[in-house]
Amino acid sequence: MNVDFTNEELAFREEVREFFKHKFPAAVKDKQEKGTYLTKNDHIVWQKALYDQGWAGINWPVEHGGTGWSATQKYIFATEAAEAKSPRIIPFGLAMVAPVIYTYGSEEQKARFLPDILATNVWWCQGYSEPNAGSDLASVKTKAVRDGDSYVVSGTKTWTTLGQHADWIFCLVRTDDSGRKQQGISFLLIDMKTPGVSVTPIITIDGTHEVNEVHFDDVRVPANNLIGEEGKGWTYAKVLLTHERTGIARVAESKARLNSIKKMIDEAAARGEVLKSNAVFMARLLEIEVELKALEYTELRVLSSVSTGKAPGPESSILKIKGSEMIQMLDELVLEIAGIYALPFVPEQYTEGFDGESIGPLFAAKAAPTYYNDRKVSIYGGTNEIQKNIIAKQVLGL
Amino acid sequence: MKVLVAVKRVIDYNIKVRVKSDQSGVDLANVKMAMNPFCEIAVEEAVRLKEKGVADEVIVVSIGPKVAQEQIRTAMALGADRGILVETDEPLESLAIAKLLTKVVEVEQPGLVILGKQSIDADNNQTGQMLGALAGMSQGTFASEINVSENSVEVTREIDGGLQTLSLNLPAIITTDLRLNEPRYASLPNIMKAKRKPLDVKTPADFGVNVISGLKTLLVESPQERSAGVLVGSVSELVEKLKNEAKVI
Amino acid sequence: MDFSLNDIQQMMQDSAAKFIQNDYDFETRRGLSNSPAGYSEDNWKLFAELGWLALPIKEAYGGLDGDLVDTMVLQQEFGKGLLVEPYYATVLLGANLIQKQASDAQKLELLEPVVAGELKLALAHSEAQASFDVSQTKTRAEKQGDQYVLNGHKAVVLGAESADYLLVPARTSGVVGDAEGISLFLIDPKSAGVQLRGYATNDGLRAADIGLTEVTVPASSILGQADSAAPAIELVLNEAIVALGAEAVGIMEKLLAATSEYIKTRQQFDQPISRFQVLQHRLADMFMETEQAKSMVYFAAMEVAKGGSEASRVASMLKVKIGSAGRLVGQQAVQLHGGMGITDELDVGHFFKRLTCINNQLGTRDYHLQSLINKAAAG
Repeated sequence: MNVDFTNEELAFREEVREFFKHKFPAAVKDKQEKGTYLTKNDHIVWQKALYDQGWAGINWPVEHGGTGWSATQKYIFATEAAEAKSPRIIPFGLAMVAPVIYTYGSEEQKARFLPDILATNVWWCQGYSEPNAGSDLASVKTKAVRDGDSYVVSGTKTWTTLGQHADWIFCLVRTDDSGRKQQGISFLLIDMKTPGVSVTPIITIDGTHEVNEVHFDDVRVPANNLIGEEGKGWTYAKVLLTHERTGIARVAESKARLNSIKKMIDEAAARGEVLKSNAVFMARLLEIEVELKALEYTELRVLSSVSTGKAPGPESSILKIKGSEMIQMLDELVLEIAGIYALPFVPEQYTEGFDGESIGPLFAAKAAPTYYNDRKVSIYGGTNEIQKNIIAKQVLGL
Repeated sequence: MKVLVAVKRVIDYNIKVRVKSDQSGVDLANVKMAMNPFCEIAVEEAVRLKEKGVADEVIVVSIGPKVAQEQIRTAMALGADRGILVETDEPLESLAIAKLLTKVVEVEQPGLVILGKQSIDADNNQTGQMLGALAGMSQGTFASEINVSENSVEVTREIDGGLQTLSLNLPAIITTDLRLNEPRYASLPNIMKAKRKPLDVKTPADFGVNVISGLKTLLVESPQERSAGVLVGSVSELVEKLKNEAKVI
Repeated sequence: MDFSLNDIQQMMQDSAAKFIQNDYDFETRRGLSNSPAGYSEDNWKLFAELGWLALPIKEAYGGLDGDLVDTMVLQQEFGKGLLVEPYYATVLLGANLIQKQASDAQKLELLEPVVAGELKLALAHSEAQASFDVSQTKTRAEKQGDQYVLNGHKAVVLGAESADYLLVPARTSGVVGDAEGISLFLIDPKSAGVQLRGYATNDGLRAADIGLTEVTVPASSILGQADSAAPAIELVLNEAIVALGAEAVGIMEKLLAATSEYIKTRQQFDQPISRFQVLQHRLADMFMETEQAKSMVYFAAMEVAKGGSEASRVASMLKVKIGSAGRLVGQQAVQLHGGMGITDELDVGHFFKRLTCINNQLGTRDYHLQSLINKAAAG
């Protein structure tokens, strides 16, 4: 048992550090440091930098242009990326639809879609949830009716993250409602510019426009946009959900965040604030640090089994719950440090183009919106309650 | 005299076995594996024979995937002198195993071959018997006691409702029952020594044996869940229930 | 990076698991715990044969040179059996401290008999005001010619009654709170002035309070150099926290398995209570805490071994996690067993009691949290 990196892995870490030092787009880096919201273009510039380095397809197999990295390399990359405050890679294209396409798609589909996903030429979004299909995802009602060489799609998808930027959407649609509800679901790719597709913004409690409703009003979709077999969409989606367990806990980001929280506390102390002598706050901080260390090692355990060729052990099932709880606890710490300056709601301060003086410390301006926004992390990707159901059933056999 | 012991890698007997969701077999992902308990008894018996001075070498053989080396190492930690792994990832029938063991017997010429009476995973209870037939050796199955003398071995067998004692000419085959002995725990110094004991790796091809199976598993199902017991108030209630509910008397 | 156990660790784990399974069922353990000695001398001999007593001892003294991960593996299995033999007192505290503090000659003289199962030890480090921080030791030893005279009181010394020797830290210079000035004395418990008041602990082990009144010993009974024992004691106690953590994880695994099995068979409202989601989620919480605690033990087993100033911070982090995880898993195991959970008859309550006691050994969760806070505030 050891947690040491090999010499090759250490060399790889150097390579990643070099990348972030020299090739991380400066404008994006600056925004990340200030906490300024990124624009669509910022994301594209950042992801293209990765693409130019050959690192866009982190989980992809080499034959499709992926990195072919080991689990340990992925971990190293995630750690360094978090240290460098890089933006998250928007998952919908690179991490979510691509694996389904290269695993279940036809050769024609692979050739048609994968290169543009890899290069972030095309922006994808996810059409899974519906107003009445959340945790019970298999009850999707958006209909796709076969008509000659097309499917005619009608229905509503919701919580579509960054759908306002998207060129394409991958959807779970119902092609058959006769059997078990899991059975009649198909996996369909839809061009957002097709007549009948419309996007309605949903403004969240942090005041941002991140998620949307996407409506399909008799949208005619070519049948060759269907992935794999009709009626197998549920299986494909499930495989995708279990595709990558490590990374789901976002431990690297949380670690980097805890470090910056410690700096905030020191800065607060330098300003004469009394946080460090607040025993209740300090107890919370240290308990969180302990929990994060445990979580880091839980993730490393999963990583170690994956990289030695074994299936991830049962401990992998706790990553999503513990990881999302960690993000939310850290949000609350920042909120506490922000104190009274958590109150001003002045979004201009963290929107592109702002160059004035911030009201209170800059981190404080975004403390509350971040806290509000991150309530989503225990809800999306299968709520934490659903995750516990899964543990109870699959791990404990209840 | 050489003693050859065959051991099998199976799911640890403490593990609650789960059937794969497609019912094609048992879920082995991340499941703890161990030496078949009857095989462990066989190893213990061989090691005791060596300690008594009856045997001068204990050779342990396993047939299966590369990781079956773990069980051979365990046997060596319990006192076996050297190991042979016949490495194959094919699912194996008892007959293929018996054929391979026959070849190992031809090479090693042991005075005694000791096997577990059956493995707790497939419950076949036939490898020892098949080996007896193929190698042309006498067999004492379900042994609960053995005594080796110059040219023969006395085997007490557990049979329905009683015991039977046989005398077999050596070389002979013995399969172990539960009460033959209580295996020891591997001590740390012996575990460390086991790392340095020789372990040969062979393949079925080395012995010219075709292990491709003519048998296919169609369906594996879990046993029915045991329902909770009930506490009866009196003997007469028990009798009534046995008669009318369980219908066993 | 690799979290798997090596072959040797795996086989050792198998042996220990089998021992607990075959020879250490709950009723046997209860019998041993209630016996006059409180443990089995036969088991102790077996541990010697199996090499377990030699595990953390260096090869030069007849040991097997095991590291903290090896100790962790063994302790995790011991936890599942609620072991009552004084392994922790003799090997993990006593022998480990001797090999870190004593002179070469003393090590040769004392460690081989420990390995052979012929000598037992107890470390009398805790006092009423200091269960963990040895710099707070009030017991004093005054030098008088070639002798030292000890006075003081030692609290809840585990395994003291069965020990052939007591290892007694006492202040030989400086004042309470000083990091230096602690010497470690090897004392025969039958010496004049040693009053040993033995008792059972509520988790079924044996311990004693020890009064030291004008106990006069030769200067040669100091292990290693005078005034120098505090760092070694601190390191040994940090390593002991890892061992306690591993034991606690073994207990939590056992409770988790027992509880999920129980709720699958327990019928109420005409169905197994495992169908109730509130109980399923409770079990999931227990599972998560157990896994997080296990991760923390792995972390600590690898880090504490490196020693240095980080070791005590890491040990504190582990103790905090073990305290909170142990509390949740222990309490919920009892809760989900219903009335049966609080009966003496069922093993579940006894595992709960041991988890509770582990939290109170070597500094509670709150104590270590405070110590982490102090370090963070200073840093």
